[in-house]
Amino acid sequence: MDGIVSITDMSFSYRDWLSSRADALCPPVLSHVDLALEDGSMTLILAPPDAGKTTLARILAGLIPKYMDGALSGTVMVDGHDLSKTEPWELVHCCGYVSQNPLDELIAPTCEDEIAFPLESLGMPRYEIIRHVRAALEAWGLVSMREASAQELSGGERKRLLLAVQDAVDPKVWILDESFDDLDVSWRERLMDRISSRSNTSVVFGSRYLDEFHGTFDRYGLLDGGKLSFGNETDIALEFERLCETPYAASASKSVPGFIPVSDTAGCGRSVMPLHVMEREGKEHRLSCTDVSAVHMRRSMVQERPFTLSVPRFSLLGGEVVSLCGPNGSGKSTFSRLLCGLDLPLAGTFSLDDDVASRTVLNRSVGYLFQNPDYQIFLPTVKEELAWSLKRAKIPQREIDRRVGECADLFHLDLDETPSTMSFGLRKSLQAATYYLLDRPFYILDELDSALTYATAFDLVNLLRHNGAGILLITHDRRFADALADRNYTISDGLLSEAEEGA
Amino acid sequence: MSQKQGSSNKVALRLALVAILTAVTVVFTMIVRIPTTKGYINLGDVAICFTAFTFGPWSAFIAGGLGTALADLISGYAQWAPISFIVHGVEALVIALLVRSRAGRDSAEAVVPLWRKILAGIAGMAIVAGGYFVGGGALISGFSVAAVEIPANLAQSGIGVVLGLAVSQAVRRAYPPVRSLSW
Amino acid sequence: MTTDTYVAGTGVLYRFDPRAKLLLMVLLCIWFFLPVSLAGAWLVVLGVIAAGVLSVGLRRMFRTFLTILPMLAFMILFIPFNVRSGEPLLVAGPVVLATREGLLQTLRLMSRFVGVTFVCALTIQSTPMGKIMLALRWYGLPYKASLVVSLAFRFIPFIADSFSQIKDSHRLRDPNIDEGKGRKGYRSKLGDMLPTLTSALVVSLRAVPSLAMSLEHRGFGLPGKRTSYHVLETSWRLFTDLFISTMIPVALWFLFAVR
Repeated sequence: MDGIVSITDMSFSYRDWLSSRADALCPPVLSHVDLALEDGSMTLILAPPDAGKTTLARILAGLIPKYMDGALSGTVMVDGHDLSKTEPWELVHCCGYVSQNPLDELIAPTCEDEIAFPLESLGMPRYEIIRHVRAALEAWGLVSMREASAQELSGGERKRLLLAVQDAVDPKVWILDESFDDLDVSWRERLMDRISSRSNTSVVFGSRYLDEFHGTFDRYGLLDGGKLSFGNETDIALEFERLCETPYAASASKSVPGFIPVSDTAGCGRSVMPLHVMEREGKEHRLSCTDVSAVHMRRSMVQERPFTLSVPRFSLLGGEVVSLCGPNGSGKSTFSRLLCGLDLPLAGTFSLDDDVASRTVLNRSVGYLFQNPDYQIFLPTVKEELAWSLKRAKIPQREIDRRVGECADLFHLDLDETPSTMSFGLRKSLQAATYYLLDRPFYILDELDSALTYATAFDLVNLLRHNGAGILLITHDRRFADALADRNYTISDGLLSEAEEGA
Repeated sequence: MSQKQGSSNKVALRLALVAILTAVTVVFTMIVRIPTTKGYINLGDVAICFTAFTFGPWSAFIAGGLGTALADLISGYAQWAPISFIVHGVEALVIALLVRSRAGRDSAEAVVPLWRKILAGIAGMAIVAGGYFVGGGALISGFSVAAVEIPANLAQSGIGVVLGLAVSQAVRRAYPPVRSLSW
Repeated sequence: MTTDTYVAGTGVLYRFDPRAKLLLMVLLCIWFFLPVSLAGAWLVVLGVIAAGVLSVGLRRMFRTFLTILPMLAFMILFIPFNVRSGEPLLVAGPVVLATREGLLQTLRLMSRFVGVTFVCALTIQSTPMGKIMLALRWYGLPYKASLVVSLAFRFIPFIADSFSQIKDSHRLRDPNIDEGKGRKGYRSKLGDMLPTLTSALVVSLRAVPSLAMSLEHRGFGLPGKRTSYHVLETSWRLFTDLFISTMIPVALWFLFAVR
């Protein structure tokens, strides 16, 4: 197989950290993958979450297994280099990897330094570096932010910074991991134009099939269960939707609390039993706020000043699911923090059951599932994580064991696994499970669907609703929101309001 | 066929580790504060002891020394920076050397007896108190004032040792890949 | 949390070459430790303060002064108490509280402390951190060391931000959130911090392999010579500034030395 990229019979397994042996391996993430890319071609590889696309992308860039312990077999050749014999710095001109999570990849204090760094490594003369940096900043709309630090940029701007770095270095193969995510429509078009110019070979990994992808790529591939397969666009897209259970999402019942559908992903055999609905003892709770206003610090503080978010009216009843949609940076997290009592509003009050609720009452009544589940993981096993809050509440040990066991079954968690080395989906489930055990009357789920399959996200939401809790779902995926929510709120231009039916 | 490329050139990994540990030390010194009757205890010493107990002597020296020096610079105590660099750098270096295990770094069984860790901690506390006394006395405020600060320095570094030990244990158990990061 | 040490402004101090400024800072600090007359030391301190007020402004200087106020108070309280030989000045009954020697010693140590503080503070406040690092590299600091510092500065805001979110996350999952009834001792507060500290460290350590990956992916480790995007211009200006930096302390030495 020829072409600028050629992978032959490649399999990869991560190291198993649970075992004390240095050579213990987890089940393979990728098995017998073959991939050949022609010079100047454009390939799209779709993959459901946790299918191994970031692993494959990093292997292509020569970063695995050097930086993530594991065993790689087979050959990977990029531009004539055998990656098992090449150091990553020798590949700067060959392949460029743009990560899904920009914060992982940014290394310099300012944007211009970020773009300059690889050029300095290459020994480019200074006047040329200045030229390249300026061109890249202009191409990606970052000129006004040239001296801003990464922490001050919004998610979309960080993605653009990574793309600007890539542009300046201009490697032969562009490996884009979910780069279209988080970008506004105009920037997505710009990115598509850039890779369509075919001056480089590009591989795009995605877990959402966007309309922009229609008809533009040379080859369409699907990564699932560790295997990579290619086909024509329609077949691949359909199979992908099936894997992500998207049609299932549209038809799922949303108005029967406690209904947990059987979800059986292909080959996984996992199924969840329908649960008895347990009515919450006592009355149904109601969380509401009136005339709240708060200062919202926009992520991108370089250009815009902070503005005021105002919420004239909001209410959430126990047992219902309410969604909150809005573009990035519109204030969804700000509102969530107010709702769970982490921050104080400038004006207005929050009430629980018609009594004014102090911040501590809100802390106790509203569980906020942060987007990053690692923020609360600190114990060595799932069992200890789940048991921790129960222990602090001074519940007897036998009762703790019972509840923890039941919870682990519901959420498909292995009690002896180490949380910090579990996959993202499982860590998210663990986060939901710990909150489930806290039995709060309300939950806020921040962008739950962003890295999970629809089925997993559905299951988590339904499990949390199990005891009659009210759920605020924050998402920017309208389909997901419509499938699950009884009512919808939107934020635009600093105003949070209830959306009309069908809006 | 199965190739593990981990052993080649570890420079970038060491740099990354040291840089992040330095940043952690700065953050722990500057924003993590416990209010007490006498003022604030800052948790910089916790970060330093954590680094010393979990990682090797070089990481500890640089992260401990550079971390505290940068924290001093940023919070406006630049005159203390060189002294902090040497005192906390040596403190971290000595603790790390004393708890170095003869077993392989990557082994989960690298058990160092508790008495050795406590001894290392006490040595660290002595270095901090003594170092600030000598350095502060000679270069900043005179020995009479530096002597007054000894109890406070001992208290803070004592808390650092105890919490640093606890946190080191906890992180090792919660995040096993840390074993392969030692330098 | 801000890591900015630089205070924007104009003036001679800002236009002075950073390399020369560092040299001046070191030489002046050394000067304060030399045997110079007390009056001379205080004159130089006043000169430094004046230069500071003209460059970074009175408010900034006052804020710096506030940071050293506790230490100055300590010095006034304890030094005279410890130097009690010599001509007594303040007597309370049979106990000599302060002597002339004690007072002089206090004034000397204070002048040194205030002088060194303001010299260092002014240097840091009038020079951006990037330029300081470039100056240090010119003096021979290896590239890897300056890279560690710049990486640390990149990660400090990230870790600080994660830390506060982790603290919030742990607070919300605690079943015992109370209104603060019953003040907790600091020992139990420290114990409560343990989960937050552990999570914060795990989150920070997770970033290490990605950072290393990123560095090498961007070419760190290539054998050729690295070029530099930012440079300090080397012109005749540098030499005059270096000359001035050497001359000032030497002149002050000749003026105020105690032979």
